[in-house]
Amino acid sequence: MKILIVEDEKPLSDSMVEYLAEEGHLCEAVYNYFDAVEKIELYQYDCIVVDINLPDGNGLDLIRLIKKQSITLGIIIISALNSLENRIEGLEIGADHYLTKPFHLAELNAHLKSINRRISYGGSNQIVINEIRLIPDEHKAFVHDQEIILTKKEYELLLFFISNKNKVITKAGLAEYLWGDYMDLADSYDFIYTHIKNLRRKLLKKGCEDYIKTIYGLGYKFELN
Amino acid sequence: MRLLNKITLNLLAITLFIFLIGMVAFYYMLREQVDQNINLELQKRASNINKIFDAAHSSAKQTVNLNDTVIITQLTQSRKSERFSDTLLFNPETNKYTLFRQFGFVKTIYDRDYYIQIFKPLEETDRLIIRIVILMNLLVIMIILTLIIANRHSSRSDWKVFYDTIAKINNYDVNSHEEFTLHNSDIKEFDDLNRVLFTMTERIKNDYINLKEYIENASHEIQTPLAIINSKMELLLQSGDMKEKQFKMVADAYEASNRLSRLNKTLILMAKIENRQFPESKPVNPGIMINHQLESLEDLIHSRKIKVIRNMDPEVIVQMNPYLAEILLVNLIKNAVRHNITGGDLVLELSNSYFKISNSGPALQMDPEMLFKRFHTSSSSPESLGLGLSIVQKICAMYGFKVKYNYQNYMHAMQVDFLKA
Repeated sequence: MKILIVEDEKPLSDSMVEYLAEEGHLCEAVYNYFDAVEKIELYQYDCIVVDINLPDGNGLDLIRLIKKQSITLGIIIISALNSLENRIEGLEIGADHYLTKPFHLAELNAHLKSINRRISYGGSNQIVINEIRLIPDEHKAFVHDQEIILTKKEYELLLFFISNKNKVITKAGLAEYLWGDYMDLADSYDFIYTHIKNLRRKLLKKGCEDYIKTIYGLGYKFELN
Repeated sequence: MRLLNKITLNLLAITLFIFLIGMVAFYYMLREQVDQNINLELQKRASNINKIFDAAHSSAKQTVNLNDTVIITQLTQSRKSERFSDTLLFNPETNKYTLFRQFGFVKTIYDRDYYIQIFKPLEETDRLIIRIVILMNLLVIMIILTLIIANRHSSRSDWKVFYDTIAKINNYDVNSHEEFTLHNSDIKEFDDLNRVLFTMTERIKNDYINLKEYIENASHEIQTPLAIINSKMELLLQSGDMKEKQFKMVADAYEASNRLSRLNKTLILMAKIENRQFPESKPVNPGIMINHQLESLEDLIHSRKIKVIRNMDPEVIVQMNPYLAEILLVNLIKNAVRHNITGGDLVLELSNSYFKISNSGPALQMDPEMLFKRFHTSSSSPESLGLGLSIVQKICAMYGFKVKYNYQNYMHAMQVDFLKA
């Protein structure tokens, strides 16, 4: 997937480029509004990650401009301003997701994956990882073609793991992905532990290999050999 | 106008008014009394004339009129001087002794000294004096009464501004979003006081707003560096070429910076609630939200064998910001799940007037008031920010809801009253 990252903080932009490049995306980074407009006019992108507060312009205006050219293009807003109006406005003018800084790269990646599925298969696709098969549209999961009944959270968890396979997933990143901002996450780690335990048990029962590795004190990793 | 002048003027106006009325009344009453006396005198003279006429035509004995009585005594040896005195004389008409004022003087006629006494009855003048005294007293009593009443009335109206100011200051809340206004007064001191108070509250408010803005700006500015730190550490964790010891250190640092991010986000949220940056209000169905939240916690509730008892009216609608409603309910529900015991109960009650959520658990070790304090956490969950119930309280305060906590029958209960007190 070809991604344009519009973020004026270079170190943050670099991190995103690095993480996403490892996932096999083609990333280009610009650091201001003016350059972003130029790039958009010259090239074709699948997705654009845009910061709202740019030194010489507003990211929302950029989105309006992009939407005039291509409707299918995926848009993720990243902003330090977590105002509801901004969020609503951003989503109304066609953004797919709104992430508040600081965010987790794994979360950004998971959102990009879902955008990728939407634009490349029109959404009606399935994800196959060895013996596991997911149908995102129907929220269904199969192991060796046998359906496993997952709760909503377990399904989201599995999808998140598969989106960030072979990466260290932190508990904090998981918690925020599953429950969003503002929750007092005190015992979310217990919640996560419970969810993962159940998910793992359900997968193993259908003869699935144990991909979910615990990384002590930090989180988990969905490890494919 | 100065307070002293105002009071003096008031007093002057009242006294002048009463005296004017009093003088007129006094004049007419006195006049009446004097007229009466003169009338009496005239009547007496008329009756005397009658008697003289009657006596002239008959042999009836002429009565003595003490008024006209003149006693002339020839002085022999001791000389008497002119003098006034009171004396009792027998009045044959009324058959009584009555008080007379007499004046005695000496007249020399043909080398002989005569002492002459003339009399005037005191009875009528006495009555006049008594009347005057009574009138004077009445006048004084009237003045005092009127002064008291007028003073009370003027206190109530002139000091009204003052009392109003006191009440307003008493209720002053720097956080309130209402304009702080004081009534104008025509009294200089009160106007001065109000002006000083107004400038003072404005300054306090401005300082407070500045401080708040500073904190908010700082919080926002912190977001970007935090995002950089987090992203770099996340990348660091992905690189497999770290020793376990180093990995552990990065993991701890990452955990801490995440905690900081969460804290910062929550504080920004609280500042926003305080600043009323969630004005949009819609009809919200809490029942649907509660069920939705319970669903997302289903696994955990199940794993801890918590029994959920729902007693909810599904038709309940509350007017509030949907986002805040969700935050409010999530925090209450998570709180009740977190502090529940394995195999405990979770009771949810929802009606048009309140939402009550109770969970089993041992009694609190601390003052329930402390529950709503920021950063107050129980020692058992060190990851907790201790801001959940603070947020609950902030949201409730914004909508005028009341939050209550109580502990009964081994159950902690949090109740939110939707009706405004």
